[in-house]
Amino acid sequence: MTGGTCARAVAAALLLAVVPGAEAAAPDAASASNALARELLAQLIAINTTDTPRGNVTTAAEAMAQRLRDAGFAAEDIQVLGPSERKKNLVVRLRGAASHKPVLLIGHLDVVEARREDWSTDPFQLVEKDGDFYGRGTLDMKGPDAIMLAALIRLKHEGWRPARDIILALTADEEGGGANGVEWLLEHHRPLVDAQFVLSGDDYSVLTENGRPLFFELVASEKVYADFQLRVTNKGGHSSEPVPDNAIYTLTRGLDRLAAHEFPFELNAVTREYYRRLSQIESPERAAVMRGILRDPPDQEALARLSQDAVDRSITRTTCVATRLEAGQANNALPQRAEAVVNCRILPGHAPEEVRQRLLQVLSDPAITVSYLASDGTLLDEAPAKGGFAPPPLLPEVLAPLDQLVAETWPGLKVIPAMSAGASDATHTSAAGLPTYTFSPLTIDPNDDREHGRDERIGVASYYQANEFFYRYLKRVTSR
Amino acid sequence: MPRFPRHLPAALLVTALLIGADLAADRTDDGADAGANALAHDIFRQLIEIDTTDSVGNVTTAAEAMAQRFLAAGFPAADVVVAGPEERKKNLVVRLRGTGKHPPVLLIGHLDVVEARREDWSTDPFQLIEMDGYFYGRGVLDMKSGDAIMATTLLRMKQEGYGGSRDIILALTADEEGGCCNGVEWLVKNHRPLIDAEFVLNHDGVVGYSITSEHGVPQQFALSATEKMYGDYQLTVTNRGGHSSLPRPDNAIYELAAGLLNIGRYSFPFELNAITRGYFERMATVSRGQTAADMRAVTRTPPDAEAIARLSRDPELSSMMRTTCVATRLEGGHANNALPQRARAVVNCRILPGHSKEEVRQDLVRVLNDPAITVRYVADDGAISDTAPEQRALPPSPLLPSMLEPLQSTVAAIWPGLPVVPFMNASATDGIYTRAAGLPTYGVAGIAVDRDDVRAHGRDERVRVTSFYRGNEFFYRYLKALTAQ
Repeated sequence: MTGGTCARAVAAALLLAVVPGAEAAAPDAASASNALARELLAQLIAINTTDTPRGNVTTAAEAMAQRLRDAGFAAEDIQVLGPSERKKNLVVRLRGAASHKPVLLIGHLDVVEARREDWSTDPFQLVEKDGDFYGRGTLDMKGPDAIMLAALIRLKHEGWRPARDIILALTADEEGGGANGVEWLLEHHRPLVDAQFVLSGDDYSVLTENGRPLFFELVASEKVYADFQLRVTNKGGHSSEPVPDNAIYTLTRGLDRLAAHEFPFELNAVTREYYRRLSQIESPERAAVMRGILRDPPDQEALARLSQDAVDRSITRTTCVATRLEAGQANNALPQRAEAVVNCRILPGHAPEEVRQRLLQVLSDPAITVSYLASDGTLLDEAPAKGGFAPPPLLPEVLAPLDQLVAETWPGLKVIPAMSAGASDATHTSAAGLPTYTFSPLTIDPNDDREHGRDERIGVASYYQANEFFYRYLKRVTSR
Repeated sequence: MPRFPRHLPAALLVTALLIGADLAADRTDDGADAGANALAHDIFRQLIEIDTTDSVGNVTTAAEAMAQRFLAAGFPAADVVVAGPEERKKNLVVRLRGTGKHPPVLLIGHLDVVEARREDWSTDPFQLIEMDGYFYGRGVLDMKSGDAIMATTLLRMKQEGYGGSRDIILALTADEEGGCCNGVEWLVKNHRPLIDAEFVLNHDGVVGYSITSEHGVPQQFALSATEKMYGDYQLTVTNRGGHSSLPRPDNAIYELAAGLLNIGRYSFPFELNAITRGYFERMATVSRGQTAADMRAVTRTPPDAEAIARLSRDPELSSMMRTTCVATRLEGGHANNALPQRARAVVNCRILPGHSKEEVRQDLVRVLNDPAITVRYVADDGAISDTAPEQRALPPSPLLPSMLEPLQSTVAAIWPGLPVVPFMNASATDGIYTRAAGLPTYGVAGIAVDRDDVRAHGRDERVRVTSFYRGNEFFYRYLKALTAQ
């Protein structure tokens, strides 16, 4: 995934994790599935899928295709396809009744770069150590990929006939690169991946603090990421004779105004539900604040208190913050140029260009230009005029089984719909009009979130628990 | 020359009223000796063609070439010394002996030039090109023109068999513009008797010139007699950083920005010294209206606050009245999508004589008024230290009559009516080393440059052809006057 979620709130719920009780499924089948999930994970980790000359997503897609053929999936239901030799995607379909449109599962196969010398273990080997699995992609997101595959294979072995087709797409270039698999499939092979809704495994969901689960996060909306460049130019001159018109001072005056500015408070369907549910498990004090902001109009005092928290502010407002500075060409010359990067996280429904206009207003200085900085580094005079996608409705066929299964697995734990502050492949499925929900039942302490970092890891017990959870969830989602 | 050139005040002067019509254009018929001009041009060209940059150049080659000329002109070998701490950075010291009635005068000029890339220039920077009334080439202003003029003066005197009332020592040196081996510093430290003098004339002047002109019309002759001290400071704010999706009020960039705004609003206290007081007094006589009145008002005791405020709107005048500090560089953050863990600024200060670098560092700390912003000192070699040296900017050199009177008379003879104005350089020259050694030092160069055409260190550096020759004639006449009695 390319960004953290907003819902890393430390809720005060005092909940205990319990190992899911033995359900209807045979224990043998469960442990066989765990063994398979581990094998698949080891195989995926060992295939370098970085966007480098050493990486190859196609190799991973082909390897998984072979697994599916071996498991008895029909050849015509397994496709490996893509716009580039090294960036092919795997699409597999477990056929079911045609009474409903399919569900599409998505997971990216590519991983960010990892250097052996930075790591304690070989990042391209699955290493089990002290109760954790280590390896590049264990969390982001070959773990979830393997779990989705294992669930599909297990259902196939059982002869499960789902109420709707289950499509799994394992794809390329989520982390970067020029051949994003989800985008390409939607554009060129829409019938192959068309679905009523999408489940993405690109986020861990059971957030813990000091080992205790706090809540189960279901990401149902995303903020839009946008970088802007602020720039001031000046004729410069010798620093021995400072003049009032100084590029650095002009820029810093603008940044001073930006620091004091706050975008308006706004809730949407997802964040409203987020606070509604969170208020049921929070401390009385925090819960009162949440109920206050849910009123119409929101209680101003509650709003003020909520906005003191960075997480809450990010959930309820577009945020923009200066993240980089650069100015001047020599210590002894007046600066000819001063630049800042301002990073914005834009609420769904608002366009980057709208935010650019707002920045211009806040800076209120024609000497400061504001350009849009595209993800490939190009500068544009104007930002995209299209806003982020409005959150999808929280479909009961998705949410109800999740609520139920979470309650069974972690008694008392609530599912909290959340809005992510970062962009993932859900951006593409949302853009295609497919309601998309992101979760993976892995248990992680957000303080030990090592995605994209060194020694990336997931707990072994958590991994197997998530494997079992996802299988059961998929079965329930497709039981009617 | 000064690594950080400054321009002289402009709009304040009433030139047309005060300066005779004979100044309205450069003349070539100064009575200059045609042979002297040819010699100056020859040396000038030779120096420009020898690359003396710190990167690939060789100062020794230029020093040796000049030494050869002096030997050929009949200077005794003992009076022509090429010496230095490094093979590529040797200095030339040559002595024209006089009667010894007075102690020697030392002339200094640096041979090294700043870098120049052929692709940036319209002409080859290491060829002396004469075009449209200008000489082009790296160092034509800063300061091979001055080197050539000083060398020509000594050769001309030698040729005439001239012996003045004092020895004239010329030191052409290395690494003024930077580099390992500043020649003046090395000579003062290692060969003091070789260059010891009653006072020093530095042809670096303001930045290779002393006369500011407008459209070729001289406005004033700046007699540099003191200089500000250069000091860089690094401001740093650190922060634990974090994901940019969760901005917090504590932000390294915002804290630094708020601090810099305090620096930008702050004005160091008004302060005059003997030279800057003389500057305003003299400038008051050649300015008019409110400006002239204000210049007088700031020299009174106590100075008039409103006059200070009005004059301070002119950055050039403001820098004459106070220490200045200005933010020149910024750097912050490590990724577009991460809260900055660090934000830094460089603040460049020009410190009035009598004040120390550490004193200014503490001033900055006080003005920033935020313990989250650390202020460290950045040495010339880039080394950072928590505190700055206690080193104080040197006091001005006294305006010795033996230097000043001949200067005024020579200037009056060549440029009738041109005011000689005591001047403080806002930037550093090799004069810091001679002043530190107790030698009164004056920047004197008879070259005129339009205030809006100072190209020292820049591309297509140039100097007017007529200005070069007149500067050549001026310097010869001035040295004659200086050593006449």
